[in-house]
Amino acid sequence: MTEATFQLPGSPASPALSPRPQEIRRTRLQSLWRLVRRQPLGAFGAVVLLIMFVAAIGAPYIAPYDPTVGDPSALYQPPSATYWLGTDAFGRDTLSRMIYGARISLAVGLGSSLIGVVIGAAVGIFAGYVGGWIDSIAQRIMDALLAFPMLLLAMAMATVLGSSLRNVIIALAMPIIPRAARIARASTLVLKDSAFIEASRAIGCSDLRIILRHILPNTFAPLLVIATAYLGLAIVQEAALDYLGAGIQEPQASWGLMMAGSATSLALVAPWIVIFPGLAICLVVLASNLLGDAIRDVLDPKLQRNLP
Amino acid sequence: MFEYVIQRLATGFVTLFGVAVIVFLVMRVIPGDAAVMLTGAGNGVVSESELEQVRRNLGLDQPLLVQFADWAGKVAVLDLGTSLRTGNPVIEDIARRFPYTLQIVVMAMLIAVFLGVPAGVLSARYAGAWGDRVLQAVTVIGLAAPSFWIGLLIILGLVTFFQWSAPLFWEPFWVSPLKSISQLFWPALAVGMRQLALIARMTRSIMNEVLGEDYIRTARAKGLSERRVVFHHGLRNALLPIVTLIGFEFAALFGGLIITEAVFSVPGLGQYVVASILNRDYPAAQGIVLILASIVVLGNLAIDLLYGFLDPRARVSQAPA
Amino acid sequence: MKQFLWGTLNRRDVIKSGAGALAATVAVPGIGWGQGQTPKRGGILRTSNGGDPPDFDLHQSATYLTQFVCSPCYSTLLRIDPNDVNKLVPDLAEKYDVSADGITVTFHLRANVPFHNGSMLTADDVVFSLDRIRKPPTGIVSPRRGLLGNIKTVVAKDARTVVVTLNQPQLDFPFLVSNPFNVIMPRAVAEPLDAKGQGMKRQIVGTGAFKLSQAVDGQIYELERFDKYFGGPAYLDKIQFFPIKGEVERSAALQGKRIDASFFIANESVLATLRKVPGVTSLRRPTPTFINLIPNVNFKPLDDVRVREAISLGIDRTAFIKTVGPLAGAFYHSLGLMPLDSPYSLTADQVKQFGGYDTLPELGGSVEANRKRAMELLEQAGVPKGFKLVILARADIPAFRDSSINISSQLKNIGLDVTVDSRDAGAFYAAENKGDFQMVAHSVALSGSLPDQILGEGYTSYGGRNYGGWKDDSIDDLFRKQSAEPDAAKRTEMIKEFQLKFLKTYFQINLAWVGYGASHLNTVKGWNALPDLYANMQMDKVWLDS
Repeated sequence: MTEATFQLPGSPASPALSPRPQEIRRTRLQSLWRLVRRQPLGAFGAVVLLIMFVAAIGAPYIAPYDPTVGDPSALYQPPSATYWLGTDAFGRDTLSRMIYGARISLAVGLGSSLIGVVIGAAVGIFAGYVGGWIDSIAQRIMDALLAFPMLLLAMAMATVLGSSLRNVIIALAMPIIPRAARIARASTLVLKDSAFIEASRAIGCSDLRIILRHILPNTFAPLLVIATAYLGLAIVQEAALDYLGAGIQEPQASWGLMMAGSATSLALVAPWIVIFPGLAICLVVLASNLLGDAIRDVLDPKLQRNLP
Repeated sequence: MFEYVIQRLATGFVTLFGVAVIVFLVMRVIPGDAAVMLTGAGNGVVSESELEQVRRNLGLDQPLLVQFADWAGKVAVLDLGTSLRTGNPVIEDIARRFPYTLQIVVMAMLIAVFLGVPAGVLSARYAGAWGDRVLQAVTVIGLAAPSFWIGLLIILGLVTFFQWSAPLFWEPFWVSPLKSISQLFWPALAVGMRQLALIARMTRSIMNEVLGEDYIRTARAKGLSERRVVFHHGLRNALLPIVTLIGFEFAALFGGLIITEAVFSVPGLGQYVVASILNRDYPAAQGIVLILASIVVLGNLAIDLLYGFLDPRARVSQAPA
Repeated sequence: MKQFLWGTLNRRDVIKSGAGALAATVAVPGIGWGQGQTPKRGGILRTSNGGDPPDFDLHQSATYLTQFVCSPCYSTLLRIDPNDVNKLVPDLAEKYDVSADGITVTFHLRANVPFHNGSMLTADDVVFSLDRIRKPPTGIVSPRRGLLGNIKTVVAKDARTVVVTLNQPQLDFPFLVSNPFNVIMPRAVAEPLDAKGQGMKRQIVGTGAFKLSQAVDGQIYELERFDKYFGGPAYLDKIQFFPIKGEVERSAALQGKRIDASFFIANESVLATLRKVPGVTSLRRPTPTFINLIPNVNFKPLDDVRVREAISLGIDRTAFIKTVGPLAGAFYHSLGLMPLDSPYSLTADQVKQFGGYDTLPELGGSVEANRKRAMELLEQAGVPKGFKLVILARADIPAFRDSSINISSQLKNIGLDVTVDSRDAGAFYAAENKGDFQMVAHSVALSGSLPDQILGEGYTSYGGRNYGGWKDDSIDDLFRKQSAEPDAAKRTEMIKEFQLKFLKTYFQINLAWVGYGASHLNTVKGWNALPDLYANMQMDKVWLDS
């Protein structure tokens, strides 16, 4: 649905050249609403992530029970009025643990994908821009890093560094770096040979200036999309890490840790412990994927012209 | 074609070398005393002079380059050291567990292709119908769900509805093939679920595109049967992207494999590498990570070569390494 | 020789263990032992007791996982009477005598005892094995070295006689040397492996009724009958051990008759389910297993006794037992360091004076007051609020893992930020033996409840359970004094004095005692449960009635 509004400034039919502030606000709001209508799934994703974010920050106020203190008389309770999502082996409330678990998942997801993308982008842009043998070496190193299954790399790092939250974030950023570098490098290669970069160089812009002012803003879009994809991936890998016992440790609440233990045993006594944390992970990953898709659709140049 | 193959082989070899360097460096660079860790000897259990002896035996007093050459030489003849945990040569442990993992991978890919492609085709054929919409929703969710959660849900379902229990002993394929396939089917399904969803979606979108093309209309007008139209003409075009997809996802498959083996307690390579890393069994961890990463590199290489074989355009348009 | 009947039940035990357990708990002779039926030959006993054993070296091991798999393959000099945990019966030693001054103990070995590899047992193998335990070669860990710490020399007088000279008389010595872990290994096999640093971790060569036929980690450990066993061929053809970590899963396997027995069940609800199943015998009995929180006294600030006392004050024993009891079997507690209802137990008043111990059930301590005092002590010692500590835990056993989780949650109330570092058995023991931890919650499962056993192994600085690395010669000296004291009344006084002395140091903080459950199909005959986890696991008189 194209909205071809093309009017020459100053022509009789055009509105006043400088819209008043309220009009700007209203127009911005309208454009936001239009955006939502056009990308309902993406909006849904954004909303879900926002809710998770708020829940994570407000955990101490929202969670009905303390996530680490259990009630010995209420072990393995199925979902009920007192415990909405049931309790676990220690009598700890599943819902409270899931709300606190959101903190860890989002912290790791945001932290790892951000650090990974930033460092990866830096490496990729540098390698792509400089080219030559530096680029070749960087590429081979990135290829080699990409050969390691993400989980193994993260697990090895987490075991070596120790199991604190900070170390898990670093460990999960490691596999993301080469992937982000690849994307950034590809973008840089395309841009490097474009006309206005050549022009900038002709004027005498320094390399750093070119990178910061021209290349970086143009790689921003694909990197943002990839960051949302890796947000979901980092959360899943983090849960896997906790499940295996290499990540966050008891008595903290983490979605992956909540599902740990003998699967058959849990299936027989407390299936809700397996279902709900996984559902939460699923939802967050879905939300970030949808958001990423929407961002890609929106930032794609073909559609950009239509935004007022 | 030949040039292409050589080029790809060279790249692959360099990458393998890079993998070996990384594995070696991580071992030497991690905090702690390598002698202590490589032998499992403990402070207070082994005296300093004994540790010196151990260091000399392991060659840890040599310059790093010499150590690397030494280690790389051993690796080339598949001497990966001895596991601290099981006491067996690492290569023996790997050989014993490899068949299970290989079987899961093969079965997972077969499941993904043989369930995913028909699903995608049918979905495209009946585009817009409720079946199509259900498939779309299911695949989107299937892509978002962590694979180990899917494994857990499968176990949940099996235990609740079929009183399933984990096998006490996992039959090797050559001993009892049918039993082995039935035992490994569920882990393979969990591993292949993501690929299944991707393949279904991809097949569907390709078929949708293709089925609207002119030459399809021509084929239909010629009176060819619907089946021939769809399969012979339509599917052929989907082949290439599917192969690409499998290639892309190959490394991701291993991640899902590792954790699914933990969920189902399958005695394969995944369980071995997890136990090795968690138990600080450094020789074994080193060996198996090297093997797994090499498999990924070789797998990608194979896919690249296959791609080059199937699509002549790829051979020409390869960007220089 | 004084013997003490331990395991007198109180009402709490009866109610908790259920009627069926009562008979088996008090070691009444005749339960399952022959019972008039003629044993049938043949059959495979399929069991599952937990995950994979970390290794097969009994001298170096402290876990039941290794002991259950290896016990049928080895023999000790004497063994615990299958009908009475307080008596010894001959095993490799036909008889033994003690000299008048109590210093020399002579063991007379049986003739013609073959090892699995065909070679014959000689006194030299006994000398080697005992020396290996008390003076382990480099690279070998020996948790029971302190147990045999009173031995001055072990000498083979001839091929069938072993002469042990003690430093001082020790009444409990025959029990200590017969600890189910103190098996006799062949020098010719073990010594070269020790020199290589491998030890007997991957080999099983013993004199027992069964020998190792296959070991596939993650899948199965299988023993087959050794027909040349000196005690006559066993009834079973094979014993199979399947590693299954989850107790619910093990229970499901038992109910589905895919296994015949599980000799280690900690979780009460699992046991309760099994008790209701017809055709299955299930029981729980107290064992000499106690859960201690062990601080590493070489790690600041745990070297300060005020900090250790604060930690002890911060743990409400009753809450601990209430939570960890159903999960791990930690239903029991005692007054002092000896088992519950031991004649050496302290009085309630004596125990209450130590920080945190007044929260034991029915002692009426105030949790609030304790927490306040704990925080005061921490402040005095200069420990800031929110100080981070890590408890090392063994992931596969509830008594370790769930205890750690509960402790970490309780210590939050005195301003400590405690997390749990869970590891698999192998990695756990490696770290613990190296002293590579800050605190560890260890479920110390001993065999035997004699003072020299419990205090000797658990509470001397040279005993094998000093994971925390404390050193106090006066405590060690007091132990040695009571060990040699011939007068019973004086010895009792010394033992009580020892406990008071040790409790004051908070080198280890005692929390609760554990009783383990076991469950088997009624077709499994010839096994009875003793109030001891490790005794009577040789399986040489077990048969299947199918």
